[in-house]
Amino acid sequence: MEVDLYYYIFWVLNYFFLFYGLCLIALYFFAIILSNKSVTRNKRKARFLQVNDIVSASDIPNITLIAPAYNEGKTIVENVKSLLALQYPFYDLIIVNDGSTDNTLELLVDKYDLEPFDSTFITQPIPTSTVNKIYRSRKLQYKQLTVIDKNNGGKSDANNAGINFAATELVLCTDADCIIEQDALLKMVRPYLEEFDQEIVACGAAIGIINDSIVKNGVIEKLRLPDRMIPMIQVVEYIRAFLLGRMAWSEINGVMLVSGAFGLYARNRVIEVNGFNIHTVGEDLELGIRLRKHMEEIKVPYKMVYLPETLCWTEAPNNIDILIKQRDRWARGLWETMGLHKDLFFNKKYRDMGLFYYPYWMFFELGAPIVEFVGLISLIVFTVLGLINWNIAILLFTSVYLLGCIFSTISIFIYVKSFKHYNTGKEVVELLLAAYLEPFVYHPILVLGQIQGYYKKIFGVKSGWGNMDRKGFKTLPNDK
Amino acid sequence: MEAEVLKLLIKLLLIILVLVYFSIAFTMYYRKWRTKRLKIIENTFAKICSLYLYPIPNEEPNLIDIQRELKSIGIVPNKPRNVQYLIDLMIRTQRSILGENYIKLKKLFTQIPPYGASASKLNSKKWYTKARGVREIYEMDQSQYTRDLIKLRNNDNIYVRREAQIGIVIFLGWKSLRFLPYLKRQMTLWQQIKIVEKLNDLYPVPDLTHLRRAYNSDRPYANELIMRIIRKFNILEDIAYIIQFIDHPKFETREAAIYCISSFSLTEEQTRDIKEKFYNISNVEQQLLLLKYIQRVSMEIDLAFYKNLLYKGNDIIKLSTADILWNNGYKEVVQEYYYQQYTQNADSQSISV
Repeated sequence: MEVDLYYYIFWVLNYFFLFYGLCLIALYFFAIILSNKSVTRNKRKARFLQVNDIVSASDIPNITLIAPAYNEGKTIVENVKSLLALQYPFYDLIIVNDGSTDNTLELLVDKYDLEPFDSTFITQPIPTSTVNKIYRSRKLQYKQLTVIDKNNGGKSDANNAGINFAATELVLCTDADCIIEQDALLKMVRPYLEEFDQEIVACGAAIGIINDSIVKNGVIEKLRLPDRMIPMIQVVEYIRAFLLGRMAWSEINGVMLVSGAFGLYARNRVIEVNGFNIHTVGEDLELGIRLRKHMEEIKVPYKMVYLPETLCWTEAPNNIDILIKQRDRWARGLWETMGLHKDLFFNKKYRDMGLFYYPYWMFFELGAPIVEFVGLISLIVFTVLGLINWNIAILLFTSVYLLGCIFSTISIFIYVKSFKHYNTGKEVVELLLAAYLEPFVYHPILVLGQIQGYYKKIFGVKSGWGNMDRKGFKTLPNDK
Repeated sequence: MEAEVLKLLIKLLLIILVLVYFSIAFTMYYRKWRTKRLKIIENTFAKICSLYLYPIPNEEPNLIDIQRELKSIGIVPNKPRNVQYLIDLMIRTQRSILGENYIKLKKLFTQIPPYGASASKLNSKKWYTKARGVREIYEMDQSQYTRDLIKLRNNDNIYVRREAQIGIVIFLGWKSLRFLPYLKRQMTLWQQIKIVEKLNDLYPVPDLTHLRRAYNSDRPYANELIMRIIRKFNILEDIAYIIQFIDHPKFETREAAIYCISSFSLTEEQTRDIKEKFYNISNVEQQLLLLKYIQRVSMEIDLAFYKNLLYKGNDIIKLSTADILWNNGYKEVVQEYYYQQYTQNADSQSISV
């Protein structure tokens, strides 16, 4: 009787894993087709709206860049310099010092010759922690720079303070530690200029990894693949996630997540939904879902779009500890967000979002680490019980591994075909090797981080953002 | 049986993987080779243009030799990508050269291959080829195809019709306003921007007859386009046209109206009109923008207007109004308001701002 029960569980789990795996493979397959279509279409469209045309235009929407900074003293000066050097005719930069305990503010005040000005009557459509002072530069060359010094309230709160203070149609939320491509704003504004029957509520672009690259005057002087294995594999992970994932969703207007590190939003819509949620660490996904819900409720046709180009570069976790902390946080954010919006689940009122996109996130984003973890446990248990046919298991594992390799290789192929960031044979071989090692040396760490995050949510273990120690970029001295 | 199927699957997957490797290798090799080819075309074209514009004394450029030279580097009909690259080079060159040399180059480009390449693209079924053809026609100043562009102004594809509309403006100037406000389809912001810029660059003197005829259009995109034209050309006598849209029910039209009016100084009567319309605007952010503008263009503080906002507006408007009054010498009005609020709410409620 007991043996029968084990067999029953064994076969139920087997078929469940098979079904789940087949669904994922089918989704990846469609993602390849959609993303390839989307990348090609984007390239064609870009021919008719070139950055040179936009840069010389006079009526284009103004943009405010909002970059929260918390204890970023190591890189803040270099990063602000980079953010001030962007090509866009009309943009403001707001750095929100979110109660840093290091010398972030002092460095900014000193380097950019900032002076405080009267902030008695600042309007705050979105409530935030207390704003202490607002600084502007005395120097003409930094006239578009504003620094808001406020009490610590977290990244979302800092972003909300920036959104309150911005006076432009569009706001770009980024991190102060990101290096943004010089023509990024010109490219990001394209969808807003071109759309006519659907309102663009948010726009994102691919994010790349800059570890071990060389930065000069706030601009990437030489892009290099990271030296260490962990960030190197993240390069492949990011390429796959942005090129296969986000671009495919963008093609069917299914984008729900615009990355918090680089997202352009319509300010009026963000204010209508009361800004970023300060009670979740998955604030970018949560805002994306809330914006979509709001647009569905007011019945205004809308779009959330993604651009395939890598327009923003960031430093990825360099070691296992930081990586686990990061993925733990992402997993908690996902858990919280899915929980906050559970009313969307198969809710016809929200059309495609309720019927397809949200359930996808539930089953395949939130559910994947759990399924993997259960799979690992089952493997151990059924091995002990002697229920595994190792011959078939190894063949099945090899097939699944090869499928994973094919998806990663195709992502790298699309990337190499479309962009010139990594174009030497050595770099491509390194990327491929990293992709093939990923399931063995990297993926288990991710699952561990994610399961740790879920565990904290299930058992109410308190945890915040966590710190990410930065190595800083390799910077070259300025030109005289 | 299952093992055999899986082994077959593994073999198949390995073959696919190898094919993707070959594709990557081919892509990288082709890109390298192609870059070299394009460099050759670019250098040859640069040489041809420079020798044509600045010939060596006693060695007038020979068109037959130029045609042969272009053919030798692959500018032939069965290599459309080379031809396309040459056209792009021609456009880039024409954009960067002015005056007598521009006319000389335009003449040269009509005498060397490709011949009629852009016009033939208008018949293509692919939208991007068609749109590219339209773009090349107006970039290369081939006004003989204006009729073809007019036919494409309502094309199903946004890029084709956008490029056609820009082409029509370039070739017809202000007369194009006979068509543009009556298009069947919506116009994007970029179309509006581009049309206004082309008018400004190529036809800087406004033709008010054509413009005012377009005022009859009731399409929101046309209203926005006309407002942008009034702003760009600083047509002071037609500011009233913009003012009428300040409280338009459509958000984008209001946004365009507020943006356009911001570049003008207003008469007292016009300011009064705007103040009246201020109360009809449903969006607080737009109200804020307008409030800042009213303050900027007003000679003196209209105390009744601001007091009304201070006592009856929403919290954000109240705060901005208080800011304006405080910084313009009416501190006592703001203090009085807050004192009144404080005394009213002293028992249980908090102060409303």
